[in-house]
Amino acid sequence: LLLLLCPGGTLGCALVAVGSPVVTLGSAVTATCTIQRELCQGLEQGKVRISWMLDNKPVAGSQRQGPGGTEVSELTLPQFNRTQARLWCCVEWNGTKQRVAVAEIRAGYPPAKPLNLSCVLNLGDYGLTCQWEQGADSHLPTSVALKCAGSTAQAVTGCTPRGGHNHCTVPRPLLQLYREMEIWVSVTNALGTAESEHLCIDPMDVAKLDPPTLRNIQSIPFQTDCVALAWEVARGTEHMELQCELRYRAPEDPAWSLVTGIVGRAGTAQRCGFLFGTRYHFQLRCRRSSALAFWSEWSPGRNYTTHE
Amino acid sequence: APLPELSGDQDFQLFLQRNLEFTRKVRGDVAALQRMVCDTFQLCKEEELLLVRQDLDIAQVPLEQCHSRSFQVETCFNQIRAGLRVYHGSLAAVRDLLPGHAGLVETLQLDTANLSSNIQQQMEDLGLATVTYPTENPDPLPTFSSHFHHQVGGFFILANFQRFLETAYRALRHLAR
Repeated sequence: LLLLLCPGGTLGCALVAVGSPVVTLGSAVTATCTIQRELCQGLEQGKVRISWMLDNKPVAGSQRQGPGGTEVSELTLPQFNRTQARLWCCVEWNGTKQRVAVAEIRAGYPPAKPLNLSCVLNLGDYGLTCQWEQGADSHLPTSVALKCAGSTAQAVTGCTPRGGHNHCTVPRPLLQLYREMEIWVSVTNALGTAESEHLCIDPMDVAKLDPPTLRNIQSIPFQTDCVALAWEVARGTEHMELQCELRYRAPEDPAWSLVTGIVGRAGTAQRCGFLFGTRYHFQLRCRRSSALAFWSEWSPGRNYTTHE
Repeated sequence: APLPELSGDQDFQLFLQRNLEFTRKVRGDVAALQRMVCDTFQLCKEEELLLVRQDLDIAQVPLEQCHSRSFQVETCFNQIRAGLRVYHGSLAAVRDLLPGHAGLVETLQLDTANLSSNIQQQMEDLGLATVTYPTENPDPLPTFSSHFHHQVGGFFILANFQRFLETAYRALRHLAR
């Protein structure tokens, strides 16, 4: 199969036009190939016979004379089931089939709606990392952007995931702290755009705190079944109103005992009802006092044995 | 006592809780920068710098509407916003003074701008008259005749800002009670 090419990759005398270079998978594709024979060096003599190939498979078109002495072949592929293919226009020349023009066709679906969008604010750099589920593959080149808008500000692109990832981080300068922002994922390809649910959150409400640190545990001398604990809240949370929870158990206890409603900034708390001469394992966790706040992880555990 | 019609407004109370915490955060960052100026330039006590201060042109930011007898949310909030705007600009002088901590100063400027727009948004939600400022800050950046004056200037910008924030914090807390 000799390929008669001239600068620009196609013979100047042939042109393939397609209805749309991107179609929905399974839908019809129409194309025309127009040969302007006086521009075709080597095709001056004899009848021009146009044929088609889809990648390397012959497909049949219908040829007619076009305006101005051109030859036109029309092709309809009723159900285009490939996600990507080349549609070649060929002509007979010296007993051989010559590829003289080509069109690339892509097929896929409109983008699927991204699902389960969630975000976490890192208190180290105050970047807001959001993640989501992408949904079915559209088979088409797709651009994804996380959009955010303050209550009065225009929507801006907060970040774009790299290399097909389904997460990215909005940098601090694009955030509005301590006030509701609207955040959503926007996915676009040649066949349309889809948006996730819009989250309406104050970035601070999704702040992920580092765990507190249990500094000291000791029995209170007069009531030996009571214990006093001291802790430090995580760095960078000193200005926050925190709520904490304490959990403890002895090795033989089947479940944790849980103490809730501890004021974080107090830094100390007392608890009674412990068995004598028993080794207990303690952990603490905190969160901001706002309703939606996330708990930190549990602090590293600390053991303490009560008085005999 | 806080203004009757506002104390029951849940959105307003949520605004106050959030921005009380935000103000505490900003105050913490200003205090951190004050410690850095103290550690870096040995400029730690205001009373030792009163004489030099007279040579400097450090903008004083009025906030009397926030602790006057005839307390008015509208005028107080507008004064807080005006002051935040001045300090947002003045912090550039601090950033130049502490190039190694430019990140913290820029974060502080971001927080200052955010706090101001939070207040503006809340005022609009309450139907209060707000002052609209041009986006760029026409207030001229403070200039200093010597490196030492620049250091002292930076010291007073932070000290004044800390006092300003204390007053603003008290005003917000007064409304939240």
